[in-house]
Amino acid sequence: MRLITTLSMSLFHFKRCGAMRYALSAAALALITTLSLGAFAQSIPAAIASGASPPEALRLQDFFQMPVGPKGLVISERLRKAQGSQVRITGYVVQQEVATLGQFLLTPRPVLMSQHADGEADDLPPATVFVRLDVLQQEWAVAHARGLVEVTGTLEVGRQEERDGRVSWFRLQLAPEAIRGMNRFEVTQYLHSLQHTH
Amino acid sequence: MQFPALSPLSALALCALAFSAHAAPSVTRLTPPSELFASGQAAPVIARFLPGQRFDLQATLRPDDAGKSISSARFAIDGKAVNGNVALKVCEAACLKGVPANATLASVRAVSVDKPGVHQLTVTATQSDGQTVTATGNFEIVPLVPGGQKIKNIIILLGDGMGAAQRTAARIVAGGYAQGKSIAPLAMDTFPVTGMVKTASLNSVVTDSAPGMTAYVSGNKNNNNEEGVFPDDSTDPFDNPRIEYLSEYLHRTQGKALGLVTTADVFDATPAGNAVHTSSRGAGTGIVDQFLDDRHLTGLTVLMGGGRKWFMPSTTPGSARGDRSDYAFSATDAHTADIVKGWGASAGALDKDRDLLGDFQRAGFQYASDKSSMDAIDGDKTERLLGLFAHSNMNVALDKIDGRRNKARGITGRVVDDYGFPDQPMLDEMTAKALRVLDRQKKGFVLMVEGASIDKQAHAMDTERWMLDTLEFDRAIALAQAYAAQHKDTLVIVTADHECAGVALIGGSKVSDTRLQTLVREGGGTAMRDAVVGIYEQAGFPKYRMAADGYPDTVDIDNRLLVGYGANSDRMEDFRTNERPLQDGQQPFVKKEPLSAYPAGPMARDLEGKYMVTGQVPGDSAAHTATDIPLSAFGPGAYSFTGVIDNTDVFFKLAQAAVRGVVLPAGLVGLARK
Repeated sequence: MRLITTLSMSLFHFKRCGAMRYALSAAALALITTLSLGAFAQSIPAAIASGASPPEALRLQDFFQMPVGPKGLVISERLRKAQGSQVRITGYVVQQEVATLGQFLLTPRPVLMSQHADGEADDLPPATVFVRLDVLQQEWAVAHARGLVEVTGTLEVGRQEERDGRVSWFRLQLAPEAIRGMNRFEVTQYLHSLQHTH
Repeated sequence: MQFPALSPLSALALCALAFSAHAAPSVTRLTPPSELFASGQAAPVIARFLPGQRFDLQATLRPDDAGKSISSARFAIDGKAVNGNVALKVCEAACLKGVPANATLASVRAVSVDKPGVHQLTVTATQSDGQTVTATGNFEIVPLVPGGQKIKNIIILLGDGMGAAQRTAARIVAGGYAQGKSIAPLAMDTFPVTGMVKTASLNSVVTDSAPGMTAYVSGNKNNNNEEGVFPDDSTDPFDNPRIEYLSEYLHRTQGKALGLVTTADVFDATPAGNAVHTSSRGAGTGIVDQFLDDRHLTGLTVLMGGGRKWFMPSTTPGSARGDRSDYAFSATDAHTADIVKGWGASAGALDKDRDLLGDFQRAGFQYASDKSSMDAIDGDKTERLLGLFAHSNMNVALDKIDGRRNKARGITGRVVDDYGFPDQPMLDEMTAKALRVLDRQKKGFVLMVEGASIDKQAHAMDTERWMLDTLEFDRAIALAQAYAAQHKDTLVIVTADHECAGVALIGGSKVSDTRLQTLVREGGGTAMRDAVVGIYEQAGFPKYRMAADGYPDTVDIDNRLLVGYGANSDRMEDFRTNERPLQDGQQPFVKKEPLSAYPAGPMARDLEGKYMVTGQVPGDSAAHTATDIPLSAFGPGAYSFTGVIDNTDVFFKLAQAAVRGVVLPAGLVGLARK
């Protein structure tokens, strides 16, 4: 247990350090968190007594039959089986003109949305996942991250009408730990770094 | 006679009585809109129509008290009562914020006037207590005059957001320059006549694609986000006062057919703004439904583009259909029932589970889902054609060509593959098929072809992607021009709805692409900008090599063309083509949780050592500008399109050419040899 505690504390330490350097070197952070999570992941089998399996990795390219046939999407067997369970998905965070609070969109390719000009005549691919923050984080805006991002959450497949009238088909519910709130200093630093690189 | 002394209270009561006796019902909106109503000035005349062109009359009437109501209303043109049912609709909760619940919309649908000239429009309303109110506005009927050759086919090629700079950039990339002379012109450069078009909308100097399209095909200004309608005070997006489109007018009076070809989602404003009447360009379900339901009004025969997500029942994964964006007119409430009666429009239904694709096919439309199936369709034997090549917008030219070139090398996993639509046609291929089908039309056709992502990629300030989309658009123009050269009763215009992003061709790169990549890695603002941007004679003549497929073999050339943006938002610039992202398996560093977030406030952005260009517009995308755009014309009647004209003028020139024959504009008449 002590080992786990030490590891998890250093993970937290890494996270805090990483956060301060986030604005300056996203790649460095990615490396740090990859390594730290990697170290953490190795200790899971020892820590968890029950037979809980790690979340299944699901590729956006495997969501439905590809290429799309002449009509609509045909959901793949793999996706159907993964409904309701914890999955890991890797994709790009959609850059939105106005960030939607409490959620972000994940796609297999980077997309910029010009919502004012285009509305729903958009460049979103069919495999677009609406990633939801925890219910207590509904008023948070997720910092747009460039490059690939991996998220883990509970997968939900099915038709749902969003607040803005859009229809979503694939949703991922994140745990609260998936999002780390930046403190005021970090936000200021982050915004400051937007003006020029150090 | 002795009067009792007034107590202060009764004096107040008397004052109040006197005051309320001066209150009266009011008219807060009179449609069609006019300066006469808005400000009392008779000029400029805002609403103009052809003789016989249909439009709706409407007025918003407000009682002077919450307890009163409007009991009747009538309209008159030049003092004569208008024929037609006056539908009254009390707002209740169905009107815009700030409009009282007892305000009443009075409408007369589908009127038309034949007599040319400016006409006076009056509305007189009676309140429940007997008081009346009258308001006056005006509109103009533009005469059709005897002309020369009549035009059978009209082809409108619209480069969304394509201003003069976009055209120039495409010419530099596609044709190149030698010692100042353009080596190979664009097809649009060879059109004999070019004019300048003023693009303002009904409510702004800066328009958007909805009024930007409808001005050309209805002769009238619309509000931003609205198409084929005048603004009203109700929240229903489909009940607005309508204006008859060119397609509807020519189908009704001459039997012409309508073709719509776009690289955007077909519900988008530019294609929809030729056939659908709505105050919400985003009401996707209703818009695509009306494409089919009202084809007897528009003559819709060819519809091609993206947007398959609207054509699947809402039970099919990926479907975007929903009741919120659908239309359904009442059978009993005259306010919308009269649209059905007066225009012959379909009543519609809230039917998100409709199999619209199936309905199109049952209505006789051949269906193409990709380039291969489109190629397999024999245009000479096809009556009607529907093509849906993408989920929403089609992929841009750069990504489609990249997909094709890699497929030829046996490589997949490109952008088009990840989108699930690896076999999308190019705009010129779609145009060629559309022309084959429409050529069968004995009475002629109106065809609108849109290069949609010139605008969308300019919003994203993605230089290379909009440049290649402009090249793709020009290839479609060349086909239209060839068709018109063969079918000499065809008039072709190339235009834009507005300019996008304030594109400026600022110079050429002083460095090779390799050096540029090094500078990007070093990062940092002015150092990179100063090392790279060559202005004046340092720009030289950027040279792009064209491959056999008609597109540059690469856009990352040494000494590339450099583009700045006048209506830009904040962006990180490195002057290189936006990366073709690697697939997840090949990407070495993947950010894992936790992701950073902060309470709602300023937007986050990532740096990665690029050069920050401060935006002049808020947000993440570049915006449209108010700048005039060039319009080029080819075919009989082309000379009508010279000069500095309003976008609404184009409608009257096209109608004149198709209905009574081509005429020279007034200033050029004297030059015509007798």
